Formats: sequence, structure tokens, C-alpha cells
Amino acid sequence: MMSHPYPDHRIRKTHRGIVLFIFILLFSFGCVSSETKSSSIISPTKPSPPPEKKITLPIFEFPIPQNKWEKNYLGVSGSGNCKITQINTSVLIIEVFSMYCPHCQRSAPFVNDLFQTIQGRRDLKEQIKMIGIGVGNSPYEVDLFKNKYGILFPLFPDQDGSISKMLGVSGTPTFIGARINRDGTTERFYFTSGELTDAAIFLSELLNLSGLKQEDKQ
Amino acid sequence: MSTGNYILSLWLFSVLMLFLETGNVHAQSSNFKDNIYPVGKLKPRDSVLTLKPGDSAPDFTLPAVDGGTITLSQYRGKKNVVISFVPAAWTPVCSDQWPGYNIAQDLFVKNDAILLGITVDNIPTLYSWTKQMCNPGEKLWFPVLSDFYPHGDVASKYGVLRSNGVSERALFVIDKNGVIRYIDVHDINQRPPLEELATALEKLNQ
Repeated sequence: MMSHPYPDHRIRKTHRGIVLFIFILLFSFGCVSSETKSSSIISPTKPSPPPEKKITLPIFEFPIPQNKWEKNYLGVSGSGNCKITQINTSVLIIEVFSMYCPHCQRSAPFVNDLFQTIQGRRDLKEQIKMIGIGVGNSPYEVDLFKNKYGILFPLFPDQDGSISKMLGVSGTPTFIGARINRDGTTERFYFTSGELTDAAIFLSELLNLSGLKQEDKQ
Repeated sequence: MSTGNYILSLWLFSVLMLFLETGNVHAQSSNFKDNIYPVGKLKPRDSVLTLKPGDSAPDFTLPAVDGGTITLSQYRGKKNVVISFVPAAWTPVCSDQWPGYNIAQDLFVKNDAILLGITVDNIPTLYSWTKQMCNPGEKLWFPVLSDFYPHGDVASKYGVLRSNGVSERALFVIDKNGVIRYIDVHDINQRPPLEELATALEKLNQ
């Protein structure tokens, strides 16, 4: 008769180890799961996403627009590239979109509403600026999207997807809200992916999280 | 194995299965949200092109999602034709290529061209797939054709049928005389930049 290769106490120790491993595994999964929920993939029309911990917005460069109005809007001059921290604003809204994305196409009129609403409010006009990043889009494709939907704020191509990757974007459209501080630091306070279907709700959520002071009257 | 050990193992197994199942549901939920099947990175090209610019475009007749059939030669002398073969419905790159063309109608109109979208999927699949590309009540402005039966027959005639039965991601520009003027059998994993097609269309008028 063969004897068991391990004494009983070794078996019990092994089982304890397995139980501990499973608990650690489940605990880790729970953390990953809740992180996923809080980080994004919430429609902008649904209730506010929970406030995030202070996250820095990666600083990326974009080509200075040649259009005079856009230059003036962003408060930049000259040619070549500039950093997002050079944009003359307290809060920057970034829409990461694609000309090919049906959700971005459907969102376009509401994004225009958002822009017009901000531009129409004297307390927000100079404090919030918007830009769009066309992930995987060529300059031609970004222009087509801009012209098709009459988008007024500056759009930039991100043909190789490097900016979107830096921003942590995995789907379009993604809307990011960030504070651009005078000392050149940034703070991302809003990050959500999904179709935008109500500019007023979106703006309200964004303002609540932004820390911007608002006037009662528009 | 003692009864205690057996119960403990059973419990561990159940917990593990619950954990794995939760993971699946989580992934499925994400897929259902977007309805797109992840295909991963594929061999960029898996067919041998038999046609070249200057050749006559092989004629074909295929059923259209909107009903009826479309025959290539019906556009002879009337319209330039762009054929967009995409590999399969409900897959990542394909699912956003035609929505892009859907907002680029002006590009085709100004070059007196019609776009024909073709996949090897059947009509019901194409109906559901293309419907979600548009706003409710709207549809794609160009005909979508099914090369389902005989399976991939047209893709095969154009030399763009892959060994697994789907087509390449390919563009053919055919002039009003039925002559192929431009071919782009693109890396299946990437979307062809629109400006390249625009340039090819503009050359038709030169």
C-alpha cells in the first residue's frame, strides 16, 4: 500500500494557501471592477460620475491653428506647435472623436449646443474652452467632419492615436474636463465616454465638478 | 481524500467558477453595449489580386439590403462606381468605415460617383448592422450588397476573397466605361484614409 506523499499538516497548509490565494484574487478583482466603473463609460446624460481623485491631464502638443478666430479663441499665436497649457482658459473640454464614429456624428449637434451655450454665457465664455481630437483621423477627415457638422471650436487630427492613448481614451466619443492652472499644472476632473445627448445636463455636471464660480444670471 | 477536504475543494471550485463567470458577464456586457465582435489583429492580406487598373471590371448582380438587386453594368455610361469591400459585419474597423462614407456623400456626388458597399454577410445581418450606423429612421445613402450566396463569388472574381471566407478591405474605383482606374487592397486591420480615395476620384475627371 502506498503512503500519502505529504503529511496531513502539509495538506492543511496547502489548502490554507489556496483559500488565501482565492481571497486575494477576488479582492483584487473587486478593486479592478470598481476602478473600471468609476473611471469612465458612463453616458454624459446619466447622473454625474463620482468625483475622481486628483489626476493630472497629460500635457500634449497640438498644431497652432492657422485660422485667426481659432487662434484668438485659444489665445495662441505664431505657427508650429503649442502645449495645451498655453491655451488661455481655466477649464479645457476635450472631445476625442472620430469622423467615422456614428456616436460622434450623432453627438455633433449636441456638442455644438454645448459650445454655443458656453460662448453665450459671459461668466463661462473666457473660462471654458473646447478642442476636439480626431483619433485615427487624417487632417482631411477632421476637416470633413468639421464642415459636415459646422463645428466652430478647433479640431485637431491625432492620426497615429498617440494623443488619445496618452489621454487614456479607449472609445469615442470621450469627453474630458481639465483645469489648466496658471502655474502650468493641470488637473483632470471629468472623464466620460458615450454619446452626448443633452448639452445642458453635460454642462451642469461639468460645472459642478470644475470648481468654477458661476453667476446666477447667464 | 477526506470528506472535509472534498467539501473544501468543492467550495473552492464553486467560488472559482463564480469568479470566472462574473468575468465573462462583465466582458459580454461591454460587447453587447457596442455590439462589436473583437477580431484581434489579422494577417494584413490573405488573397491574390488578379485585376489591375486598366482592366474591365467584372460584372455582377447582387441582392441589396433595400430589396431588389444591383448590377454593376447598370451604371455604365451613367456613373463612376466605387466598390467598397469590407470583411464582415459587426467587426471593429468595418463598423466605422461605412459610417464615415455616409457623411462623405458630397465627395462622391461631386465626382459623379456611386458607392456600392459589399460584404459576404447575408441580408438580415447587413440590415441590422447598417441600421445601427444611422440615426433612427435614416439609412445609408449608398446601396449595401450581399455577396453571401454563392459565398464570396464577387469578392473571388475581384481577387479579394480571403482563405477564411471573408473579403479583404478593398476599394475599387471604376469609371463610366467600366474600366478599373484605382485599386486599394488595404491592410485589413486599418481603415483606408479617405483622402486617397478622394484623390483617385478626382483623377477620373482629369
